Amino acid sequence: MINNLFAHPALPLAIGSLLIFLFKEKSNQISIISILISLFVLLFITDNVDYVYTNSISVINYFSYSKLAYLFCLVFLIMGLIGKLFSIYRDSYKEKAMVLLYISSAIFVLFSGDFLTLYIFWEVMAIASTMVIWSSNSEDSKSAGNRYLIMHLLGGMILLLGIIGLYIDTNDLQIRLLSLDTWYNWMILAGFLLNAGAPPFSHWISDAYPEGSYSSTVFLSAYTTKTSVFILIATFAGSHVLMLIGIYMIMYGIIYALLENDIRRILSYSIVNQVGFMVVGIGIGTELSINGTAAHAFSHILYKGLLLMSAGSVIYMINKRKCTDVGGLYKTMPITAICGIIGALAISAFPLTSGFISKSMIVDASIHEGMELIWLMLLVGSAGVFLHAGIKFPWFVFFHRDKKIITTDPPVYMKYAMIIASSICIIIGIWPELLYSLLPYNVDFIPYSGNHIVSQLHILFFSALAFFISLKYLERTLTLTLDIDWLYRGKIKYIKKIMKYIINIITNTNNAFSFLVLKNKFDVFENYLLKQNTISTMLILILITFAVSLLINIS
Amino acid sequence: MNDRNKIIYILIVLVNITPYLYVFYDFKKVSFNIDNVIGFYPIFGFIACIALIIIAKCLALILKKEDTYYD
Repeated sequence: MINNLFAHPALPLAIGSLLIFLFKEKSNQISIISILISLFVLLFITDNVDYVYTNSISVINYFSYSKLAYLFCLVFLIMGLIGKLFSIYRDSYKEKAMVLLYISSAIFVLFSGDFLTLYIFWEVMAIASTMVIWSSNSEDSKSAGNRYLIMHLLGGMILLLGIIGLYIDTNDLQIRLLSLDTWYNWMILAGFLLNAGAPPFSHWISDAYPEGSYSSTVFLSAYTTKTSVFILIATFAGSHVLMLIGIYMIMYGIIYALLENDIRRILSYSIVNQVGFMVVGIGIGTELSINGTAAHAFSHILYKGLLLMSAGSVIYMINKRKCTDVGGLYKTMPITAICGIIGALAISAFPLTSGFISKSMIVDASIHEGMELIWLMLLVGSAGVFLHAGIKFPWFVFFHRDKKIITTDPPVYMKYAMIIASSICIIIGIWPELLYSLLPYNVDFIPYSGNHIVSQLHILFFSALAFFISLKYLERTLTLTLDIDWLYRGKIKYIKKIMKYIINIITNTNNAFSFLVLKNKFDVFENYLLKQNTISTMLILILITFAVSLLINIS
Repeated sequence: MNDRNKIIYILIVLVNITPYLYVFYDFKKVSFNIDNVIGFYPIFGFIACIALIIIAKCLALILKKEDTYYD
């Protein structure tokens, strides 16, 4: 039993990330070997292995196996391996170590059996992913990482408050299906949804992910949002409010992506869009829709990784990231273009790709439940995906106006990574049974029925027609689109001004009454507030939350 | 004829061919009454896309700023 405690697929990755700091030159080898060991451990996990550690406070369930967690862990590791292959030429050992820690914490979340373990690794995941963004070492990535971390610590706090409420009320922290009838369950839901990119905070995905380096964005796209999808399946499957949230995310992703100019930001918006499909599937909550959601998460991680790898190759080779700067690259980067197009077809659920066999399950689930409006919105979403990611991305990057850029395909390992990912997309598309056998429920579903193929092809071809007819109006311009982050972004100077003003008033009153001792303290306080950045403020807020929770517990 | 027009014509041809796939498949209608209308999927997909583009363009009037807005 004690020996088995160490048989956790996340542990080799955590150890690997520490080893990278010791042996900086061997970072690639350590990364790949530790992921392979993790895969090995995962394949030898048998059913019914709950390592429960009991203490006086609660039951801490460090490792709880489920078929769903196995599926997610498998795709996390496959994507990790492909991504590591892709990032071999990136010479930043910090990024490589942090990516391993990030994957490791995501897998810990998958296998955690109680909310406390989940919360701890949830926060580790937030911090590790911020480090991954920061490792890009540009000014933009610094500020984007700050905004990302604040957003996630805020979500973590909301989640923690929910978990505290749950514990006080039920005295049970086991992860289980929750119903939305109490305030703390709503807070837990909000905490999870924030990580999934739900409204009103969908912007953090497109704000932070494109600021990573060409290789780190591949990893960032895979783990945070999909961990959140996993945990939503485990805790809130069948909550109908999720359908509305999912529909909003689908539409948000399409509309913002249509207006966007930055290549990777377009793909980030389409993450929101695709996670929207999954959230709708969770909201429907039947066996078919849960299967569909899990399958869609699996295929999404791979084709999104593929798309971001082809975008990353373009950025690696010509160091340009805007649609207005590129074009006509299919002549000079044929393999990148082909892989990018396969990814684009997969994301638009073209028949014979992985997207088709997973998305049609979610769409069919809405039909089986008789939800006509949801079904129609999913159709609009399907058409829109082809519009914004399926055609727009490859068209503006690889075709459109030939900018006569002289370059070649990326180096050999990057090509291998893209080719492997695109082969998996097609293999799953042709033999869906491979994926279906791993799904949590038994699958009685035929993706390649006449109805599915014909309706999907019709929708796709006519979306393409709509795209080319309105191409004139979709020309990219050097602009950005405002989002909800306008409310606080760049406003820190006003907050500082207001704080300074308040502190001045306090100090002046202070002087007037000449409480000299107090005045000194206020000086310290003022210096502190003005010099420390927002992150330490957030950390203090978390500490305060802990203190409050202790107080509640005592009383 | 430029590239764009060529693509549009190819698409129109493809789109006209696909309905004949109906012949080869045994159709089981599992959906709602609305998709029994002939040409529902193509028309719906087309209108949906145009509508999305129009909505995006309208939002752009309010939300679009120079890309140095936050600098």
